[in-house]
Amino acid sequence: MRIRDFLFRKYAIPTVVILLLLSALILVSLRVKERKGVAFMDGLLMEVCSPFQKGSTFVIKKIKGVCEGYLFLIHLRRENEELKKRMADLQRENDQMREMVLSHERLRKLLQFRETLSSTAIAAEVVGRDPSSWFKSVTINKGEKDGVRKGMAVISPEGVIGQILKTAPSHSVVLLITDYNSAIDSIIQRTRAKAIVKGGGENRCQLKYLLRAEDVVAGDRVVTSGLGGNFPKGLMIGEIREVDKKGHGIFQYAELAPSVDFTRLEEVLVIKESPPPPREEKGKKVKKTR
Amino acid sequence: MKKIIFPLLLGIFFLIVQTTWLTFPPIWRIRPDIVLILTLYVGLSSPPFSGGILVFLLGYLMDLFSGNGFGLYAFSRPFLFYCAQLFKDRIYLESFPSRSLFVFLFALAEGFILLILLKALNPEHLPNLYPLFFTVFLPQSFSTALLFSVLFSLLKKGSSLLYAQPGTGIGGKL
Repeated sequence: MRIRDFLFRKYAIPTVVILLLLSALILVSLRVKERKGVAFMDGLLMEVCSPFQKGSTFVIKKIKGVCEGYLFLIHLRRENEELKKRMADLQRENDQMREMVLSHERLRKLLQFRETLSSTAIAAEVVGRDPSSWFKSVTINKGEKDGVRKGMAVISPEGVIGQILKTAPSHSVVLLITDYNSAIDSIIQRTRAKAIVKGGGENRCQLKYLLRAEDVVAGDRVVTSGLGGNFPKGLMIGEIREVDKKGHGIFQYAELAPSVDFTRLEEVLVIKESPPPPREEKGKKVKKTR
Repeated sequence: MKKIIFPLLLGIFFLIVQTTWLTFPPIWRIRPDIVLILTLYVGLSSPPFSGGILVFLLGYLMDLFSGNGFGLYAFSRPFLFYCAQLFKDRIYLESFPSRSLFVFLFALAEGFILLILLKALNPEHLPNLYPLFFTVFLPQSFSTALLFSVLFSLLKKGSSLLYAQPGTGIGGKL
């Protein structure tokens, strides 16, 4: 009783201050250790807040749609005629492409020695973005109920977006490849040189642990290596913008421009399963282990 | 209880606005941190107990929707709140410049706290964090400081209407 009086009457404010800051530090510690209780609490709170976020995004899209559909209709007729012409050209081009794709499919089936690699992907919509400027993440409207799990790869037709950081029953947070905490195993498409793509903040990435002897030039495309298990092999990450061979050392560094414009991200694909490694490599591995 | 619930709902609303409306180009780079504005307002007008809990919850929510895996805002926001509590009787907050300067300094202070914590908690060296301070964080702090005056007046009016106790602020008496 005396201790309670001492703590909550005489030193009420300092006690509360210390308790709150201490609980915040405990929370930091629990997160670092990845305890299940914290993840459950996170999921629960995210589940409560995300529908509002979804609603807000819906309203923004509606307003944007109205603005684009009705308010900005200047030179509509001329534009319409131009678009019709363009559509006809594209249609013709599309038919030719389709023919090419069909012939390619037939040839591929004939030449293939092994089955095509396949991954199950879930389409998701971006419903929110990171509230702070220090971290780079987006919230998507698919979660554990849809089969989304922590660490799964998230891509778009333009390239790699990131990986799942936190999950709730029907929402998840995706850590973008531009975040400082993101690292992806990659290869340079032209030279097959291995490197790690690290997040560099504002819509840029860095290529690390790239051997100095490797031939890398600005404009080289960087794709996922498939190692690590999260990302399938060959997904576009970005293009090298600048190469820096800092003084001495065994590594060189390069600045990477991601192929995805993260400021205009609306729909993404979450890869549920990573493709199995190619059979030949499996065989090699077995031989080695023997 | 309503002294925590109403501001918490307002905080959630601010958080949603921050993660949706304020992320669209061209303002995403300089978007003001409106949850920080609420935190500082609560720091200036609420009692330490209810205000502290409220700010802790807001920090926790910020952590949930950010790519921050450590939960740094649950620490930094209560810290700022108590700093604001410490200084609230010592600084003049009736003029626009003094209010803005107050928020600007607090936003920068939070930036430094996060920077130090990120550096301390990350096992790897993070070389590009410092440039972010000038390219993103400084403009954001500046816009937050400018917006604070407007929101401060609105929040003050709103809370005096809601609680019918002019001058006592969001939390009123504990």
